[in-house]
Amino acid sequence: MTVDPFPPHPLHTPGIAAATADLTKVYGRGDTQVVALDRVSIGFREGEFTAIMGPSGCGKSTLMHCAAGLDSPSSGSVRIGTTELGTLGDRQLTRLRRDRIGFIFQAFNLLPTLTALENITLPLTLAGRRPERQWLDRVVSMVGLAQRLDHRPAQLSGGQQQRVAVARALVSRPAIVFGDEPTGNLDSRAGAEVLGFLRDSVRELGQTVVMVTHDPVAAGYADRVVFLSDGRLVDEMAHPTPDRVLDLMLRFSGGSPQTPACDARSRTS
Amino acid sequence: MLSTALRNTLAHKARLVMTVLAVCLGVAFVSGTLVFADSTAEAHRAAASKNFADIAVTVTAKESPSGGAADRRSSVLDDALARKLADVPGVAAVEPSADGSAALNAADGTPLRVRAGANLAAAYVPGKDGKDSRYPLIEGHAPRHSDELAVDRGTAAAGRFRIGDTITLATDGPVLAKRLVGIVTTEDTRVTAGGTLALFGKATAQKLFASPGHYTGIDLSAAPGTDQFELARRVTDVLPADRAEATTGAAQADQQAILVDTLTRGYAKLPLVFAGVSLFIGSFLIVNTFTMLVARRTREIALLRAIGASRRQVARSVLLEALLVGLVASAAGFLLGLGIASVLPDVLSADGNTLPHGPLVIGPRPVVAALGVGVGVTVLAAWLPSRRAAKVAPIEAMRTAGQPPSATRSRTRAVTGLALLVLGAGRLVSLTGAKDASEENLHRAMLGCALLVAALIVLAPLLAAPVIRLTGRLTGRFGITGHLARENALRDPRRTAATAATLLISTALVAGLAVIGNSTGQALDRQAAAGLGADYVISSRTTTTGVDPAAVRRVADASGVRTATAVTDSTLFVGGGVRDISGVDPGTVNDVMKLDFVSGSVKELGPGRIAVSSTVARETGVTTGGRLNAGMGRNQEFEKYTVVGVYKDNPIAQDALGDRTEVAKNSYMPGSVQRILVRTDGSAVSKTTEKRLRTAVGNSPLVKVQDREQLVDEAAGTMADLLKVMYGMLAIGAVIGALGIVNTLAMSVAERTREIGALRALGMDRAGIRRMIRLEAVTVAAFGTLLGLAGGLFGAWAVGSLAGGAMEQYSLTLPWGTLLLVCLLSLAVGAIAAAVPARRAAALSPLEAVAG
Repeated sequence: MTVDPFPPHPLHTPGIAAATADLTKVYGRGDTQVVALDRVSIGFREGEFTAIMGPSGCGKSTLMHCAAGLDSPSSGSVRIGTTELGTLGDRQLTRLRRDRIGFIFQAFNLLPTLTALENITLPLTLAGRRPERQWLDRVVSMVGLAQRLDHRPAQLSGGQQQRVAVARALVSRPAIVFGDEPTGNLDSRAGAEVLGFLRDSVRELGQTVVMVTHDPVAAGYADRVVFLSDGRLVDEMAHPTPDRVLDLMLRFSGGSPQTPACDARSRTS
Repeated sequence: MLSTALRNTLAHKARLVMTVLAVCLGVAFVSGTLVFADSTAEAHRAAASKNFADIAVTVTAKESPSGGAADRRSSVLDDALARKLADVPGVAAVEPSADGSAALNAADGTPLRVRAGANLAAAYVPGKDGKDSRYPLIEGHAPRHSDELAVDRGTAAAGRFRIGDTITLATDGPVLAKRLVGIVTTEDTRVTAGGTLALFGKATAQKLFASPGHYTGIDLSAAPGTDQFELARRVTDVLPADRAEATTGAAQADQQAILVDTLTRGYAKLPLVFAGVSLFIGSFLIVNTFTMLVARRTREIALLRAIGASRRQVARSVLLEALLVGLVASAAGFLLGLGIASVLPDVLSADGNTLPHGPLVIGPRPVVAALGVGVGVTVLAAWLPSRRAAKVAPIEAMRTAGQPPSATRSRTRAVTGLALLVLGAGRLVSLTGAKDASEENLHRAMLGCALLVAALIVLAPLLAAPVIRLTGRLTGRFGITGHLARENALRDPRRTAATAATLLISTALVAGLAVIGNSTGQALDRQAAAGLGADYVISSRTTTTGVDPAAVRRVADASGVRTATAVTDSTLFVGGGVRDISGVDPGTVNDVMKLDFVSGSVKELGPGRIAVSSTVARETGVTTGGRLNAGMGRNQEFEKYTVVGVYKDNPIAQDALGDRTEVAKNSYMPGSVQRILVRTDGSAVSKTTEKRLRTAVGNSPLVKVQDREQLVDEAAGTMADLLKVMYGMLAIGAVIGALGIVNTLAMSVAERTREIGALRALGMDRAGIRRMIRLEAVTVAAFGTLLGLAGGLFGAWAVGSLAGGAMEQYSLTLPWGTLLLVCLLSLAVGAIAAAVPARRAAALSPLEAVAG
């Protein structure tokens, strides 16, 4: 599993679920200008579990937001499958997110008024599609929620809520699932469960998963880890283990492995 | 704590805008009405003193105790007295007058601005220079001969009169025709404010309003430096003591101002009712806003408590915030009120009763009222939320999610609400057996309705779930957006209920009023014609004049007329009350009135023998054959009248029937006729017959000829005021309801930013978000409307049965059109109110889901 971190033309490579080319994101202007991403080109291969890591403010969340069509790049291009996002309007982007992308958020972001099952099938409901019974059952049983489908989010533990979110991300068979610090709000056991599900979805279902994390243990579940620093891709590692990731991070951060979570707002302000 | 409150207010100023607007609206009505009343009173006073500016003293005949028309002829106000008065030291000029009233027909034959107290008539009395200084001529010449008259410019314009036209008019009976020879100007406000003025030659006016050679009054102007009161004293000395008296111009001006002011005072009532309603409904908005603010700040308040703020300090900071909001709102409301006060005269003048214009008079009363009402209502309404804020425990600073309301609290709510409901409904149901609309029953009905509304408000949070689930079946058709809208509306039932409360109250009020008004109106319609056997009613337009008695003969002789019966109306004092008695001819009354006698018969009527309506019989406890102690008309002595019959209530026959000769003898206008009831041959009701009848009464502007249909329309006209109140309340309810919904939704959208972001990230498009918010608003509005409708209809049913006891023809009729309008308006209010919050929600970026 060795992939050139800087493939010359990722947009033309087959087997790529999503890719960015020369992706640049600049916040603010003049004195307050911050370059969050500086010409980042990266591809995410189908059926691969990728973790994006880096110190606080390195641009890893921005990279994910742009790649997932939540945020628009200042320049450069983003592709999901064969679709170029830069040409899409809000309505098409919305549809793309609904049909081709799955999301797992740090804060779970389940709708408190819907039951677990309704939350899981929400992307399909929004699209006006009926869930495939077999697939739904498989996803639900994989995350171990069969007994809790009628519960509201408030009646579930954090780990259970995130498992609902994982099922929600998988249910529409998206081309790619993005996770934004999916274990950031969970204790280590619940986090391990969720990461296990994500890895299983890659192994068993052939799902493509991209996850932003600052936790070397979480990164250890991935097939590949890419490292960002100051808005640039600086390194990558295949078949990571927590120890090797930690070593690499210590090297980047000059000895301190403590990298607090990237705060989306702290970048812009 | 003051700085905390101040900073909170500033931080939440967007949230408080709606609250400020709601309070502002109520305060504007209050202060606008008060300023308007003060300004109008001042304008009247100014106008009145202008009318009497040149008059220092007026000499009038003194009413002798015996009263009556005989006085006219024995008046002492003649030219001799005028000359004598001219010699009194300090008198600069003497202007005798012969005043009365005269109603005119416009050039097209229709009555011109005929209204009590607005149709002035006077004598043109030339002075030494041959002119009457009170009425400067601008066209033609002064009236001299008995067939000449002059009018003022306004009257001429309104009636489309030209010099040389023949004008028909009536002073108190027969119709006169005079030729217009002159047009004058006048500054008398009674005329310029939408009245008429007719001037006659001196002799003609004396004959009409006094007697030949006599005046109705003598105005004196004072020589420079002479005091009015001093002059009045000197004048009194020369007057025959018990025959004439002197009044100063200032006193007359005051009197006139008071009179005109009381006539127009009623205008202020309606806006004050609106003020009350808008403040009452608005207080729910205030409670809701502050509750939401406190809920949002729970963690912050808990933190304050954790670091040592006392409960009292927390509560006080909320109240201080309310005080600030109230102050700002009152100030804004007062300014808005000034705007209202300046346009009110124009609005109220629409029907021709021109109100005098004058500068706005801002006394201390409206300022104090505006501040008191605005600040008072806001602080009072914020009291409950402040208590809730004080209850926040320090531990809640550590909690992440809000706690659901405890079960005990909602049980208490259910018990309280049900108790109120049972009490209110029980009270109302117990009234359905009531026989009459007595004061006591009405008070009980009002209390019942208030209890019912209170019960609905208390129960609303509990009713929200079942009712909204029901309406959710409809919104469910909109797929997931409808589903989410329903669930969001149900998320905080208390907030939903409080938001819906404004619409609940206004819908209940309007639906109740509409049903009762509609039912009463239809009953009145049926009643107006029910008691009438005649085809036409000829009656006087004003209460101070009658129909020319000589016209009865002419009407009876008109072709197509079978019977024409004169009716003399007067008053009957029974017990503590004043009743209307109709003096009829027992022989012909059955031809023109449909009388339904419970006992006795109309044939027995005669001097000393009367019949009474069943209401009067019930209230006085008198029965047929019994005797009733009563005073008739101006006869001050009470006499025992034998009751010869009791008939079912009948608006044509009024409260009592008497023998016409006897009633006419005791009338304030002895011998006068107030109505002529006409039965035609084979019910030949047509324009031709109507015209013939008009001709028979000399086309007098004082008299109206109405067929059954017109009579019914006139009765229905009394319902127009109720309609005005109703639609006004509906409008206020809609506006404040909309403000409340905007407020709640804006707050909800702010609280759910992350959730909406997630929905956007998961693939809901902007239109979907907008639809979701809009449906939520419509759901809340529909909830309030449904509860209000239920309450209003129940109340109307109960109060209506009360009216049914008093009104023969009453039956509950639902004004479907109005009710439908109310429902549609409420839903529209919801949809419109959602516009801004929906747009704001739709503009949220999906990134909000991952932010923070």
